[in-house]
Amino acid sequence: MEFLETSVDKFVFRVARDYRYNDADVWAKREGARVRIGLTDFLQQKSGDVAFVNLKEIGTELGVNDELAALETIKVDLVIPAPLAGKIVAVNDALADHPELVNSDCYGAGWLVEIEPANIADYDALLDAETYLPQMQARAELEREK
Amino acid sequence: MTMETFDLAILGGGPGGYVAALHAAQLGARVVLIEKARVGGTCLNVGCIPTKALHASAEFYRDARVKSAALGVDIPNAVVNWAQMQKHKQDTVDQLVRGVEQLLSAKKVTLWRGEGRFLSPHRLQVVGASETRQVEAPRIIIATGAASAALPVPGANFSGVITSTEALSLERVPEKLVIVGAGVIGIEFASLYRALGAQVTVLEMLPRILVGTDEELARRLLQLLRRAGIDIQLNVQVLAIEESQPLTVRYSDAKGEHTAPGDYVLVATGRVPVTRGTGIDTLGIAMNRRAIAVNERMETNVEGVYAIGDVIGGWMLAHVASAEGKVAAENALGKAGAIDYRAVPNCVYSMPELASVGMTEADARAAQIPIKVGKFPFSANARALSFRETDGLVKIVAHAETDVILGMHILGPRATDLIAEGALAVQAGVNAREVGHLIHAHPTLPEAVMEAALDVTGEMIHYQRVRVGA
Repeated sequence: MEFLETSVDKFVFRVARDYRYNDADVWAKREGARVRIGLTDFLQQKSGDVAFVNLKEIGTELGVNDELAALETIKVDLVIPAPLAGKIVAVNDALADHPELVNSDCYGAGWLVEIEPANIADYDALLDAETYLPQMQARAELEREK
Repeated sequence: MTMETFDLAILGGGPGGYVAALHAAQLGARVVLIEKARVGGTCLNVGCIPTKALHASAEFYRDARVKSAALGVDIPNAVVNWAQMQKHKQDTVDQLVRGVEQLLSAKKVTLWRGEGRFLSPHRLQVVGASETRQVEAPRIIIATGAASAALPVPGANFSGVITSTEALSLERVPEKLVIVGAGVIGIEFASLYRALGAQVTVLEMLPRILVGTDEELARRLLQLLRRAGIDIQLNVQVLAIEESQPLTVRYSDAKGEHTAPGDYVLVATGRVPVTRGTGIDTLGIAMNRRAIAVNERMETNVEGVYAIGDVIGGWMLAHVASAEGKVAAENALGKAGAIDYRAVPNCVYSMPELASVGMTEADARAAQIPIKVGKFPFSANARALSFRETDGLVKIVAHAETDVILGMHILGPRATDLIAEGALAVQAGVNAREVGHLIHAHPTLPEAVMEAALDVTGEMIHYQRVRVGA
C-alpha cells in the first residue's frame, strides 16, 4: 500500500494513495462490485483509542450520511456517516475482539463495513488522495489551533 | 404422633420462607418453619452466597496477577490456595446460616427440621431424623424452591457431569471446564473459573448470552468474556457427552459437529420448581407448567394455601422470593398486599458485572412506548479510571415525552451495587432530568449514572457524541 503523508506539528498523517475520501475524513475503497469503508489516519488520531465498535448489521440500507457505525473511544462516541448510499453486505468481525485495529491499521485490517453501492458513480465522485490531502491538512491545522 | 397448631406454617426455609416467617412473626403470628436441610435454602447454602464468596477470591487472584503491577504493587507469585478459598466460602455460608437461625429464634419462630408434605390443605406431616410430627394451620405458604434442570442427552449421568451445587465444591480448580448454558449461572461460573486459571468453554443454544438482558450490553460482555479467554460458542446444540479425556461434549452448529473436552461438564440450562414429594398434587393446586400458579397476592387456587419464590417460577431470584414472602405473610394474616415487579434488579456477577432494572429498549419497543436512550462509558469516569476498571457503560431508557426512567442497565465495575439507584428511580417514577441534576459525589462510580441521565436530555457534560463531518 502506498501513502501520501503530511504533518502538522509533531503529528504525521497518512493518506492511502488508491483510496477515495470525503470531507468527513472517511475513506472508501472499491473492491469489485463492493465498496469497503473505514476511518482515515487523521480521524483515528483525532478521536483516540477505540474501545468498542458498534457496526450496523449486514442488510442495512444506508442513504448518504446515514450512520453506519459508532465508535466508542475514551474521549468521544464517534458516529460514522456513510460516504455513499448502499446496502451493508459485510462487517469487520475482527473489530469485536480487536477494536484497536481501527487505530493501528485504519486503512487495512481496521476496515469497518463493505457495501454494495446504490450507484457506483457515487464512488467516482468522492475525492482522490491528492485532492483530499490538502483539505485534511487544513482541518488538522484548525484542530491544532483549538 | 405430635400434632401442633400454628397460625401459619411455611414449607421451606430459603430466602422466601424464612423472610415470610420473620415478617409474619413481626405481625404477631405463631409461625412454624419447616426445612429439610439448612435454613437459607439454595441461596445461602449452594447459590448466591457461596458463589459470591468464591467470586471475591477469584477476582482478588485475577487482580493480583493482572492489575497489581500497574497499580504499583509487586506480587510476584500469586497462587490459588483452593482449600482456603473453600474455607472462606464455607465460613461465610455458616456465619449467615447461624445468623438466620438466631433471627428466627429471636422472633420466636418455631423451626422444625424435616421433610414436609401436605396431608390436606391445612395439615402437614413433617418427617424428621428422629420423629414424625404433624402441624395444623389455617394458612400455609409453600416455598420449596427449585433444582437444576437435567440435560436430556446421552451421557448426562456420567460422573463429572455436574450442577452448580457440585461446581462450588470441586476438589481443585479444573484444568478444563465445559459449561452448557450461557444464562446467569453459566456465565458467572465461566468468569469465576476462568479468573482462577481454568480453560473454559461455554456452549449456548441461543444466538446470544444472558437472554432477557439488554442486548447491546450482553454483546459487549460477550466480547469482554472472549477477550478474557473464555471460549463461548453460540447457536449450538449439545448432542451427547462421552467418557474420554475424561469427558467430551459433542455438539453441532451451522458449521458441523465439534467436541469440547473437560474435566467436568457443568449443566446450567435452567432451574425447575420443586414440587415432588410435597403432596401438592393431592390438593388440586393449579399449576403453570411445572410452577405453582399464584395471583398477585401469592394465593394459589386452594383457600389458605400460598406459594412464593422459585417454586412459582418467574424471576427465580432470592430478593424476589423475600419480597413475595412478605406479601404472602401479610395476606395470610388478613392484611392486603400485592407484589410489585416493576423494579426488580437483576444482577450477573460476571467480570465485569452486569445489572439491570426495568425495561430494556426491546421491551419498550414491544410495548410501543417511545423512548430516548442515554449512555455513558466508564472509560470517562474518574473513579473507574483511578482503579483501572474502565470496561462498560451505564445505559438509561427513558420515556421520550416525559423523560421518566423506564429502565437502567449497567455493565462495569460494581454494576450490581450501582443498580440500586436505578431501581429507586424506576420504582418511584423519577425522571432523567432529576437524576442528572442530582448532585452525585465526586469521584464516584454513580457519576456515570448521573451523566447517562444527562445524556437522555442532551446535557451530558463529560463525554461527547460526535458525528464526523457535521
